[in-house]
Amino acid sequence: MVEQTVHRRNPDVSWRVIEGQAVLVFNIEGEVQVLNEVGTYIWEHVEDQDVETLAGNIAKTFAVSEEEARRDLLAFLQDLRKSGALL
Amino acid sequence: MARRTPLTPYQDLLNRAIESAHPYSASLELTYTCNLACRYCYNPVARKNQPRRNPPPPPPGPPLAFEEYVDLLDQMKEMGILYLTFTGGEALLHPRFWDLAAEAKKRAFALRIFTNGVAITEGTARRLKELAPFCLEMSLHGADAKTAEALTQVPGSFDRQMEALRHLRAQGLRVYLKVVVTRLVENQLQEIRELGQRFGYPVYFDPVLTVSDDGDPYPLELLASDEAIASLYRKEGLNVGNSPFEREGGEYNCTVGTGMLHVTPYGDVQPCTQWKQAVGNLRKARLREIWETSPLLKKVREVNRAVPGEIRRTVQDHAFCFSCPGLSRLTTGDPLRVDDQYRRIARIRRRVAEEEGEGGSVNRVTIRPETVTRP
Repeated sequence: MVEQTVHRRNPDVSWRVIEGQAVLVFNIEGEVQVLNEVGTYIWEHVEDQDVETLAGNIAKTFAVSEEEARRDLLAFLQDLRKSGALL
Repeated sequence: MARRTPLTPYQDLLNRAIESAHPYSASLELTYTCNLACRYCYNPVARKNQPRRNPPPPPPGPPLAFEEYVDLLDQMKEMGILYLTFTGGEALLHPRFWDLAAEAKKRAFALRIFTNGVAITEGTARRLKELAPFCLEMSLHGADAKTAEALTQVPGSFDRQMEALRHLRAQGLRVYLKVVVTRLVENQLQEIRELGQRFGYPVYFDPVLTVSDDGDPYPLELLASDEAIASLYRKEGLNVGNSPFEREGGEYNCTVGTGMLHVTPYGDVQPCTQWKQAVGNLRKARLREIWETSPLLKKVREVNRAVPGEIRRTVQDHAFCFSCPGLSRLTTGDPLRVDDQYRRIARIRRRVAEEEGEGGSVNRVTIRPETVTRP
């Protein structure tokens, strides 16, 4: 499967970064999700960085290997697509 | 008092936002215009048959223009405000309501719309569905037209509200129904809950009557009986509360001047919906500057922190007491002096707890159970 290089946030999901953490409000479902630091970083940059750039920046910012960053990023993006947060 | 369950990450985050005065919620009073004339209305614009002592104050200037609202939305987004409530008067009557709502959506606000529903047609409900708001909160005034219209003073308004609920249900929109418990509806509370159930919407009952924005106490002539208030707190009781946010713990009493702010139609910034005092005006300063430098807002936060201690010190039934300093300020002149309504409600809650054999109730703002947090 070819991974989407740049993603788009679902406009029906409201969000803000509050106290360093992204809070996602799924307006239609009436549910809320709070992301951790890495999740927040990904969410903030998911529309302006492709997967490879994002993985590289995660590795640098959070001092992890590029391989680990890429693996966790892909899994997280899949979760966000599955939940409807990303289109 | 020991917590019954640990805080979720979301609840913990809201507490931290309040502690650091990071506003995450704002209400915009778009207009004072309304299509009802409710006898308990706190709105400063007088309507028929409301026995007000004082004439309405002259407006401080023209209402905020559309462009000013758009700029305000940008400022609020930059400050990290997430929940945005459109209220009034009747918010849907603002001439640019849909444009404002679209601008809010573009900026990823979670929109709450307060409405009486009278203006909601099938077409309105379809447009609301496209907007995908977080929720609508709709006021109800009785279980039948005779009761409701004795309060709203507008013939036909009840049927319009029922039509609105049918349209909203058909569109699958999330609606919370809200009822202020007055002596006019106190014998219908169960019927009103059943009315809500027929539409699939929960009903939340507010035991507190607010006085008019200028402190005129005329709404209090509609105070409900002790037994009606007690019925809200019994084990098999009705839902209480008017906030979708659960908050427990922390040093602050509530979100006034910390987690939330309010803007009037004329650009006055207030510490919350109920604290009727401007801490700044948007035509004179940017919102962040007002929020971070207003000396009055600093005092409001000190009061907010002091309220729980004052309750413990001055209210006999303090374990059962909640106090809104904004309302207390209007009725007693001092935000720290607990208003009589809250003392009364605390007494009633203690009596119910004793009658039902409970050890005591947690002093908390009730949540809406539908706000589910994802792991």
